[in-house]
Amino acid sequence: MEQGQTISGSQAVIEVLAAHGVDTVFGYPGGAIMPIYDAIYGSSVKHLLCRHEQGAAFAAVGYARASGKVGVCFATSGPGATNLITGLADAMMDSIPVVAITGQVSSAVIGTDAFQEMDVLGLSLSCTKHSFMVGSLDELIPTLYRAFEIAASGRPGPVLVDIPKDIQVGQLEYKTPLQAVAVEMAIDSDAVAAANTLIRNAKQPMLYAGGGVGMAGAVSELRDFIARTGMPSVCTLKALGAVEPTTAGYLGMLGMHGNQAANHAVQECDLLLVVGARFDDRVTGKLNTFAPNAKVIHLDIDAAEQGKLRQPEVALTGELQQLLPQLGQMLDIAPWQQHVAELAEQYAWRYDRPGELIYAPRMLKQLADKLPNDSVVSCDVGQHQMWVAQHMWFRKPEDHLSSAGFGTMGFGLPAAIGAQISRPEATVVTVSGDGSFMMNVQELTTIKRRKLPVKILLIDNQRLGMVKQWQQLFFDERYSETNLSDNPDFVTLASAFDIPGRTITQSAEVEGALDEMLNAPGAYLLHVRIDEAFNVWPLVPPGAANSDMIEDLEA
Amino acid sequence: MIHHLALTLEQRPEVLERVLRVVRHRGFRICNMNMTEQDDKFLQLNMAVDSDKAVELLSRQLDKLLDVTQCVVTTPSAMSQTVNG
Repeated sequence: MEQGQTISGSQAVIEVLAAHGVDTVFGYPGGAIMPIYDAIYGSSVKHLLCRHEQGAAFAAVGYARASGKVGVCFATSGPGATNLITGLADAMMDSIPVVAITGQVSSAVIGTDAFQEMDVLGLSLSCTKHSFMVGSLDELIPTLYRAFEIAASGRPGPVLVDIPKDIQVGQLEYKTPLQAVAVEMAIDSDAVAAANTLIRNAKQPMLYAGGGVGMAGAVSELRDFIARTGMPSVCTLKALGAVEPTTAGYLGMLGMHGNQAANHAVQECDLLLVVGARFDDRVTGKLNTFAPNAKVIHLDIDAAEQGKLRQPEVALTGELQQLLPQLGQMLDIAPWQQHVAELAEQYAWRYDRPGELIYAPRMLKQLADKLPNDSVVSCDVGQHQMWVAQHMWFRKPEDHLSSAGFGTMGFGLPAAIGAQISRPEATVVTVSGDGSFMMNVQELTTIKRRKLPVKILLIDNQRLGMVKQWQQLFFDERYSETNLSDNPDFVTLASAFDIPGRTITQSAEVEGALDEMLNAPGAYLLHVRIDEAFNVWPLVPPGAANSDMIEDLEA
Repeated sequence: MIHHLALTLEQRPEVLERVLRVVRHRGFRICNMNMTEQDDKFLQLNMAVDSDKAVELLSRQLDKLLDVTQCVVTTPSAMSQTVNG
């Protein structure tokens, strides 16, 4: 677009998207955003119609998470915008760069309770990194540029831009705003030296890597650090993929459903090096019992995470890509490395469970081993999500999309759609449960619309499994509202969207069915019936220390 | 414990809501507040807040708000002794 050309506000929106390399927007039209939908019609920016604004928001999240690019979604005013909110909250909790553009009623009627009017700026305050309501035509282009910059910089997050209809139809001169030059954060050399002293003196150090590693593009710096120091490591749910699974001393996920070796090693360590993680309660268990003997070095881009839940001995605020290379040297910790290796062996996952019924952990391990190099797994929330985290393995954090901080059921299917759009060559599999799947099941139509080859592995125990598990363990087996045995016939349901599939119930069928799913030319739904008696093990009971995990009661 | 904060805010219609929401959500109670317009670009907000929590838990969250250009704690607590804290 030539500078100074007169165009409408709506055309300017599309121009700014194109200038930021946005190839696809996810959204749903409606009254107050019709001028923008008119501008995108026939433009260079593609649009994928989702069938609920929450689906559009999660598709934008999946697009961003799988590719590292900023995801964009559109919705109209009022109900369109309120339907986006859950997706924005999810992006906020997991620090995902998303720009949401909502139509608003005309400036003249804002505050009059106009049709489909809602104070979306007010709603956005708690669930976005930042938000704007565009007040004038002059502000429109600079605001949109700023939204992209805020979404992707520092600790990323969702940004909402609410655009009244009169701004969308008004005429302006297109001008690219002057861009502020990003200021590099200075590294505190005293803190680096203090951290290196702690690392050098540690006898039993552990690395606790979080989602920030992937968000910062610091996976190779983290792997170099581990190679340089030989420090044993654990990952959070969101960091899975940051450490290569075969790395010596790597113990997998820690926390409530983590591997016992990971939790025991962290509990025993004398130094905890926290990299882009935030001491979430699902990670720490009872906070004041977490890593009780450890000194803490905390690396994060967000100063507000330093000391929020655990006071570090050394806080290093800044870009992980720059901080990690300044830390560490080969460590003389052979007895600790040996102990960690023994823990890893003692608590290695076992897949030799006998019986003809399908054992979901074994099936997911098989699936991970079959996936090609370029693959993405998205999942929903609940028991299957924890089995995915425990038993699948990932090449990089972008290959594993899981609603970690917000734990939003209904995330998996639309996130897979977004991932398939941003990585069209990748094999995209969504692993879902029978509860979560129904929460955004309308997005099957979106898969049909764009003929996306998304594979759906639906693990069905006819229960709201994770809640049922807690009822069994902590609520005296009072199964309140967790029986889903009146589920629809999922294979018939999928066929209504032209998605083929089959149901399996026996262990012997798993291998062939996974191959059939992965080799299907288009979308495919594999419906897997499992016994509702299977629970997620091990588990740190609520309020307990991570050293007090409980194991399978029936095994 | 009572803490005093002095904030400089960009003039945005929602900026006060943004600040108040964070104060409430992070577990602080406002006991005293005064806001004045500096010029057409900035507002000056002085607050006294009450909480058992370290005031840095609030000031760092306020610092993150993009419309907060400055947030000064006039009553520091023990937490600020951390290296680079």
